[in-house]
Amino acid sequence: MAAPLLELHGISKRFGQVVVADDLSLDVQPGDALGIVGPNGAGKTSLFGIVSGDLTPDTGQVRLGGNPITHLDAAARSRLGIGRTYQVPRPFEGMTVFENALIAAQQGGATRGRASHQLAADVLADTGILAEANRPAGQLGLLQRKRLELARALATRPRLLLLDEVAGGLTDPEVAQLVAIVQRARASGAAIIWIEHVVRALVAVVDRLVCLAGGRIIGDGVPSVVLANPAVREVFLGTEATAESFAAAGLVAGAGS
Amino acid sequence: MTTSTAALDRPATGARVRVTRSRRPRPFLGLVALAAVAVLAAMPALVGAGITAKLVDGFILLTLASMWNLLAGYAGLVSVGQQTFIGLGSYVVLVLAQWGLQPYLALPLAAVVCAALALPVSWLLFRLRGGYFAIATWVVADAVLLVVSHFPSLGGGTGAILPGIAGIAPLTRLAWTYWSALAVAVAALGVTYLLLRGRLGLVLTAVRDDEIGARSVGARVGWAKRIVFLVAAAGCGAAGGLLILSQLNVQAPSVFSVEWSAKMIFVTIIGGIGTLEGPIVGTIVFVLLQELLAGFGAWYFIALGTVAVVIALWSPRGLWGFVADRVHLRPFPIGYWLWVDDDTGAGAGRAEKGVE
Ligand SMILES: Nc1ncnc2c1ncn2[C@@H]1O[C@H](COP(=O)(O)OP(=O)(O)OP(=O)(O)O)[C@@H](O)[C@H]1O
Ligand SMILES: [Mg+2]
Repeated sequence: MAAPLLELHGISKRFGQVVVADDLSLDVQPGDALGIVGPNGAGKTSLFGIVSGDLTPDTGQVRLGGNPITHLDAAARSRLGIGRTYQVPRPFEGMTVFENALIAAQQGGATRGRASHQLAADVLADTGILAEANRPAGQLGLLQRKRLELARALATRPRLLLLDEVAGGLTDPEVAQLVAIVQRARASGAAIIWIEHVVRALVAVVDRLVCLAGGRIIGDGVPSVVLANPAVREVFLGTEATAESFAAAGLVAGAGS
Repeated sequence: MTTSTAALDRPATGARVRVTRSRRPRPFLGLVALAAVAVLAAMPALVGAGITAKLVDGFILLTLASMWNLLAGYAGLVSVGQQTFIGLGSYVVLVLAQWGLQPYLALPLAAVVCAALALPVSWLLFRLRGGYFAIATWVVADAVLLVVSHFPSLGGGTGAILPGIAGIAPLTRLAWTYWSALAVAVAALGVTYLLLRGRLGLVLTAVRDDEIGARSVGARVGWAKRIVFLVAAAGCGAAGGLLILSQLNVQAPSVFSVEWSAKMIFVTIIGGIGTLEGPIVGTIVFVLLQELLAGFGAWYFIALGTVAVVIALWSPRGLWGFVADRVHLRPFPIGYWLWVDDDTGAGAGRAEKGVE
């Protein structure tokens, strides 16, 4: 059997007293769609940082397609096919929307000239912001920033797409549009890891759910099973709107099984 | 289909896209630039020696500011030690002239030597970030000053006279120096323009806006920074070479002075950091201010400082930023403008809202 697309082995990371990853191991297969949930401060974004190269783990190893990449920087990992979005969108504000996508297409996506123009335009069309192509990215509102964040990650032509709360703060129809974009990305062959508090959006796309708390995996498996897990329900108790989103997610998951 | 915008929101599989480097075609841009250079080249014949000498200083300043703008405005390398390469450039011309090379021919070599020396310097400096990097660039400049001052053949700390130039008539010499300075300034702007217009330019612009974001989309940021550092060393080295050619002697404490950094920072900030045009505007304003305030002694520095503070507070992106926000004026087409031919066959139509 081929090596998993992504392997995390014994990853630990702490910021002073705060443990964000505690001897954490995880495998993701090519084409997988994996959701990550967990309370605020669980270490979800930090885990993305460790995979994308923004953070160096204290111990442990990251492999992509069987090759160790722990020592590679974020740019090298992007070129190897790891694309990520940031929880707080960070567009290049002084560049146009098109230029934002273009640099991703040229650098991470390794395209040149006309091919890079076409790729950049295609991801903007796919994410629904082609009409804003020539606007300075600094002028965009939240929804459009989130779309641009997605477009930029897609323009690097990722094998593994890391989505950090792309649906947060959006209305239901907006979330539905984003879900459609992510589903298209998945259909094109990319594996997806998606961190999301909006569990409803998540279970519409993913077929595997991981629950993180205190830098540890406390649940991993089919979404409906993980969400029914008492340990998982425990860490969610008291967090906002959890009961509601669980109910909605449970309905969706139940209908599917 | 109701509007072309709705059509644009669909996945553009098959949609024909076209990219131009500015919103409107600029067929005469090259000609305008050429004419400007031609007029400037004729200046020594049109104006007196005093003005010609001042223009030389202006070109040196423009070169320095353009290089500092690349470093700090784009690559995030806030150097306060570019005088390292100004000084080295001066001394390369001196040494080559002492060896018998015609000083004007030594000028391009000063740029090359400085770029070559910048490589090992970058290995040292690039380990440091932010404020530490800035301080270290200054430390390097002072260290090089100490080393240079130790060589009696270089005039020690007191200075050395440029040989091989005494035979040339003063006015001829001034004209040659002027044309050299013009050539260096045009080359500095030209290289900056080409650098920013190419693939690397997109990377540098992204680094200007967000370095972490640039890395996350695969940009080799370290590589881009190193290239900028070498280019800036070459430009500052050439400027240093011009200094000794215009002054006919060199004094180590003066060419390695941190005042040069203060000047290039000042010019870049008032003109507009992170824009290609900023250093040009800044240089013109600086030279004019210098002329206006020359008679006021110490007040000159106070007035200059006040102007800088006022401009920095009132328009953080300098005078050019203030202008560019109000009129869509882009003399240097380095951006990308996307045109999508919609499938009604109506030709290139693009939503252009929000640009001006
Ligand atoms: N660079 C850093 N320096 C210090 N502490 C950090 C740093 N990054 C994250 N932390 C801390 O680590 C913990 C985990 O942060 P992380 O962003 O990974 O959580 P998260 O699961 O993504 O949370 P959220 O749901 O709020 O986005 C938090 O307590 C955070 O304050
Ligand atoms: Mg987070």
